[in-house]
Amino acid sequence: MTPPPAESVAGMIRPAEIPRDSQANRDLLGVMDGVSLGYFGVLALAVGAMLCAGGVWIYQVYKGLGIAGYAHPIFWGVYIVTFVFWVGIAHAGTLISAILYLFRAKWRNAINRSAEAMTVFAVLTAAQFLGIHVGRIWKSYFILPYPNQRGLWINFKSPLLWDTFAIGTYATISIVFFYVGLVPDLAIARDRATGWRKVLYTVLSLGWQGTSRQWKAHNRSVLHLSGLATPLVLSVHSVVSWDFAMSIVPGWHATIFGPYFVAGAIFSGFAMVLTVMIPVRRIYGLERYITSYHFENMSRFILLTSLIVGYAYLSEYFIAWYGGVEAEQTAFWSRAFGPYWISTWVMILCNAVFPQILWWKKARTHVPTLFILSVLINIGMWFERYVIIISGLSREYVPAVWGVYTPSWPELLIVMGSFGFFCQFFLIFLKLFPVIAIAEIKELEIHARAHGEGH
Amino acid sequence: MSELDRRDFLKVFGAGTAAAGTGCYRYSDLPEKLIPYVIQPEEITPGLPVLYASTCQECPAACGLHVRTREGRPIKLEGNPEHPVNHGSLCARGQAGLGRAYHPGRYKSPMRRGVGGDFSAVSWEAATSELAQELDAAAGRVAVLGGITGPTLSKLIDSWLEAVGGRTRVVYEPFAHEALRAAAQAVFGVESRPIFDLQGADLVVDFGANSLATWISPVEHAQQVMEARDASGSDGREMRLVYVGPRQDETASSADEWLPARPGTEGVLALGLARVALDAARSEGRTPGGDPELLARVLAPFDAASVATSTGVSAQAIRRLGRAMLSAGNAVALPPGVALSSRRAMATNAAVLLLDAVVGAVGRGVQLPPVGSQPRVDDFRDVVKLIDAMKSGDVKVLVIHDSNPLYSLPADAGFADALAKVDFVVSTASLPDETSQRAHLVLPDHSAIESWGDAEPRPGVRSVVQPTLRPLYDTQALGDTLLASARATRGGGAGLPGGSFRGVLEAAFAAEGLDWNEALAHGGVFDVQRFEAQLPVSASVERLEFAEPHFEGEGSHVLLPVPSTLLSDGRGASLPWLQETPDPITKIAWQSWAEISSRSAEQLGVGPGDVISIETTYGTLELPVWPRGAIRDDVVAVAIGQGHTVGRYASLSEDGTPGGARGVNVNDALPALTDESGGRAWLTARARLRATGEHQRLPFTQGTDNKRGRLLGESISLAALASGKNPFGANEGLPASSAHGGGGEQGAPNGDASGHADAHHEGPHEMRRHYDPADDSTDEDPYRWGMTIDVDRCTGCSACVVACAVENNVPQLGEESVIRNRQMSWLRIERYVGEGFQELETGRPGPKNHEELGNTDVRNSPMLCQQCGAAPCEPVCPVIATYHTASGLNAMVYNRCIGTRYCSNNCPYKVRRFNWFDYQIEGWPEPMPLMLNPDVTVRGQGVMEKCTFCVQRIQANRLQAKSEGRALGDETQTACQQTCPTDAIVFGNLKDPGSRASELAAKNEGRAYHALHVLNTRPGITYLAKVDRRGAARDHAASPAQAGRGVTADTRSHPLGVAAGKERA
Repeated sequence: MTPPPAESVAGMIRPAEIPRDSQANRDLLGVMDGVSLGYFGVLALAVGAMLCAGGVWIYQVYKGLGIAGYAHPIFWGVYIVTFVFWVGIAHAGTLISAILYLFRAKWRNAINRSAEAMTVFAVLTAAQFLGIHVGRIWKSYFILPYPNQRGLWINFKSPLLWDTFAIGTYATISIVFFYVGLVPDLAIARDRATGWRKVLYTVLSLGWQGTSRQWKAHNRSVLHLSGLATPLVLSVHSVVSWDFAMSIVPGWHATIFGPYFVAGAIFSGFAMVLTVMIPVRRIYGLERYITSYHFENMSRFILLTSLIVGYAYLSEYFIAWYGGVEAEQTAFWSRAFGPYWISTWVMILCNAVFPQILWWKKARTHVPTLFILSVLINIGMWFERYVIIISGLSREYVPAVWGVYTPSWPELLIVMGSFGFFCQFFLIFLKLFPVIAIAEIKELEIHARAHGEGH
Repeated sequence: MSELDRRDFLKVFGAGTAAAGTGCYRYSDLPEKLIPYVIQPEEITPGLPVLYASTCQECPAACGLHVRTREGRPIKLEGNPEHPVNHGSLCARGQAGLGRAYHPGRYKSPMRRGVGGDFSAVSWEAATSELAQELDAAAGRVAVLGGITGPTLSKLIDSWLEAVGGRTRVVYEPFAHEALRAAAQAVFGVESRPIFDLQGADLVVDFGANSLATWISPVEHAQQVMEARDASGSDGREMRLVYVGPRQDETASSADEWLPARPGTEGVLALGLARVALDAARSEGRTPGGDPELLARVLAPFDAASVATSTGVSAQAIRRLGRAMLSAGNAVALPPGVALSSRRAMATNAAVLLLDAVVGAVGRGVQLPPVGSQPRVDDFRDVVKLIDAMKSGDVKVLVIHDSNPLYSLPADAGFADALAKVDFVVSTASLPDETSQRAHLVLPDHSAIESWGDAEPRPGVRSVVQPTLRPLYDTQALGDTLLASARATRGGGAGLPGGSFRGVLEAAFAAEGLDWNEALAHGGVFDVQRFEAQLPVSASVERLEFAEPHFEGEGSHVLLPVPSTLLSDGRGASLPWLQETPDPITKIAWQSWAEISSRSAEQLGVGPGDVISIETTYGTLELPVWPRGAIRDDVVAVAIGQGHTVGRYASLSEDGTPGGARGVNVNDALPALTDESGGRAWLTARARLRATGEHQRLPFTQGTDNKRGRLLGESISLAALASGKNPFGANEGLPASSAHGGGGEQGAPNGDASGHADAHHEGPHEMRRHYDPADDSTDEDPYRWGMTIDVDRCTGCSACVVACAVENNVPQLGEESVIRNRQMSWLRIERYVGEGFQELETGRPGPKNHEELGNTDVRNSPMLCQQCGAAPCEPVCPVIATYHTASGLNAMVYNRCIGTRYCSNNCPYKVRRFNWFDYQIEGWPEPMPLMLNPDVTVRGQGVMEKCTFCVQRIQANRLQAKSEGRALGDETQTACQQTCPTDAIVFGNLKDPGSRASELAAKNEGRAYHALHVLNTRPGITYLAKVDRRGAARDHAASPAQAGRGVTADTRSHPLGVAAGKERA
């Protein structure tokens, strides 16, 4: 069904029917009020982890990448693993905001704001790893196509360059999308804020008055941005997957990598939305807004993508066997039974086996189950990238230089720090911006009242 | 805010930027000023190398050197092509020898040991006068103990000893081959240490000498062997190499047949072979080698059947080999080396020489020069006598030079106690070692490239050592130290020559009528003599007692101490290049290991890296185990050379003070026993093995020896070679459908390869496509640089690995880095056993060993950047730091690299190395930066590096050719090629069909392949497969009827087997 046109919504709003301080305003803006000790504790933990990782990173720049666990021939380690992981997380937001918007899936409204925020923060986190991973961060600007007198140029054939552009584009669009959606809510916040918040929201809300003209422009821009962002959802992770698929490393060089990675990204993105929103919903009492209806829909998405990912796992093994390339067969055999067998089985269990409980409606609506499952999926998806990247490199074409990589402590601290980096942003976001799109919720409520439908 | 006008803003902004820039500048440790010559020396043109001829001092073989200097600084050692010993090649030890001068641990001045045991620097004047006083006080109770020196220095030491009234001089070499000389005396009745000339040999039987790696003159022997069995040889006379010994070493790996006889029974086996040969010869009416009755009497007890029983070699094999040796045109048997020198080493050596005599090798493959013309070496017995004298107080002053007896003598010899009884010990060591730490006075000698000297490894080869570097520290040549100290004694050095040692040297040359300037220009005076007298076997041979040796102690295993290919007797341990180069057989670096058979390991319940204890009657060694398939079950082998407790790199100590031992010293578990002749016996002790339950991470550099049937380290049977059909799909003669346009698909994307699966399933490799490597450079460029590497010639000696490191400033990083697989070598030698099979290893065990006893199917395959035409590394670099040059090289722009490491991930050959830390500083402690090659960038932290075929050499020659208006020919030699003793690596222009590399590839088309050809990377390196001659040998053995047919014309040229193939065909 189609949502009502903006004009009609505006026409329906009458001060007498909608009190100025609606339930939604009070609930959702209430999240932003006051900070508890617990909040500070978690924030301190996140910032602490981030600062610790920052310190390790500075030491790494000074000392060299050798403090990480790299060992010939495994030249990419958990930095790239975590990079791909965060890029994957970044997928749910745009999918929910853009694609589901275009498909008019109204259950998206409850989660789209937080998913968009997650997208932005996850992309920012992922982008850190491009810098952390390179050997000479102080020369990393070489990767940009800046004009120079030495005639140096970049290599447009390199998937890493595509990566840079893909991530850059995605980050830009995500931030714009996030911000545009935020403007009406910022105006609501502005109207009841005091002090520095008032100044902040006044500036950020760009003089939003809620006029029909503004609503029209707003809706149109959201529609256009959705159109722009939709292909990006599919392209970004395809490009990231080409980092691997375009190489000749056995276990990387596979044509299914594009869809395989996109499905995996959406899979992990939804899982991360669950992981983050379930506690937020509980703590801030948003049960009225995020209901089992939403959980069920997300679960279905997770189940679908889990099946795609599981199919991709099977297909990889099938092709390795069917293709008859010895190096490929060895790589996959070693993946399941070699030095990284634990990672592989963690990946298969978490991503392809455990999500199958979502076939049962009971599981789809049982929040604790979903929470545990979402955490397992996050772990599984991290290991998926670990398995692909590390096990592929450890069993390549020249058996004489097969090797084994074990992550080092500094590396793992930086990975931990990336979670701190992400959480810190999300925590600040909780207190600064409405965690659920108020305007959209109201829109739905009005709509429901007008048409006598519940959601 | 106060007013800030535009000008102030710019000032502050500029200053701030400058300050930030200065603060961010990292490499402040690098020199900021380069000082040009004020007066430029005549012979030096900045930027061009100057070569000086000299002589390698790393072992008594005395190979000729060209010291490559730049702006007055030696930066590389290369073989002297004019030198009759090495003909331009060097081994790994020779290549690393340069590092002795630039070793960070060197003694920087004379040192005196105080009462507390600490050393303090003293002046040469004080040190010399102190030594002179002690000499005077000793009243003649003076002894000199040292290694082999050049003849002039040796004479000077003798006269010095006379001048100070001294009594004893012992020339002590740990590996002195004493038994060989005694055996020659016993067999031929002459005093001589035989020379083995394998040139033109067509059957060489090596009785455990490991002649390709550690025996008397390894570079020379490897050269001769590979030349003699050159598979591309046109005369059809191909040599066969047979190895006898309990353990597969370099020679066994390169051999065509390996007979793992029981250790200690090599002599019996030789006699068995001699008997077969003699019987066959007599049935033909020939009487080679001397009095047939005498020989028959001596050989009578050694019939094939009983020899088979005692040696464990089948009687059939003995008969076959014995006949083959006789029927060969030029068969040579080589006596055992150090590892198999038992208490009956003389008899064993004599037995092998007897075999040589019977098969007619004397005067040809075995030459007997008079002993007086060879460098003096004393017996181990003389060392023991000296030790006794020291113990009884008969030695007051002991001068120790060029040797480290405290390390290399068995603990059982009691040298340490004896040394404590000597009043005044003087060491002239240049680097701190165990012995010099116990000296009262250290008078450091110059390093070899700072010294004058000479060497005479054999009659007629008078090689000269000339300095190419002004002494870096306050050191003094041994000769000058001796002269000065004698002059300071009461006797005033009467009878000693005046002047300096250099003067003595020149005078010696003049006295012998040798042209000094000629000698300096050419590296020596060479008048190679051959000793072709066919001496008959002397009657004294009857007095020899040929029996199996007795091993001391009890235990299931015999302890086999093996000379290390890289560290030799331990003298190489202080050189990081030799430590970090993996052992050619086990691929372990920086450590000791015990080799036992896989079956023994199973019985002990240990795997790779598990620590075992080896108990002999004389001591216990605890070290990690390395199970192998290719070692007898009754043997435990430990390499000699590790276990130093003093010295940077040699031990775990960073400075010169004693520290923890690196690995174990096998001498600690060996007795001081001699053979019949008084030489040191090494193979003496039985050992009990016990698992300790501990584990040690071993720094091994090769993941697995199973090549899994991939197109790497290939081998081809004689039959396949004869058919002329290339089984590797790299050349013409392929089915037309897969030949695919005959090349020209320049820059074909990698993914393309999968689309051309071949319909002709004749071989294991599905993609066969012909391409012309010459297409991989631009049309305007006349060059496409490439290589042809002959796997058949590679012995795995690793000289190329060290040469590459020295030439290209590749840092050596230590044990921890190797454990983490972070060694930087651009070139490695992969050692594969057999074709490989589909077998996967689970969990994280150490690599499984696929060797088998008696199996010589080992392929040593040098792996370096293949300079691919369609290089997978190039398209993935985001900043074009690695790119394709006009001449077809994959160049690497270090300054442009940002370190994404994608290139290495995408390199199927895995030949790229990454600077994980700032090796620019850490890898080169002072004064090692002085030996850096100024033509090669020293790579900083965070960049990728790799081989570029010594592009600096190509470039230098290219400029030279351009200035002379000609095209570049074959004059460029890469460092690896230059040093290769067996000429396995040939570099050249693939666009020129006349270049050696092209010619060699074309001539050997039947066995040419490109590594991992299936990936369509279009490599610039063509490999030539190892020729598997085993099949022929087996066929021969399997047809006794034919073996019984006696000598035919065909078997004369192909003693071991080709004839069999021909007859069958």
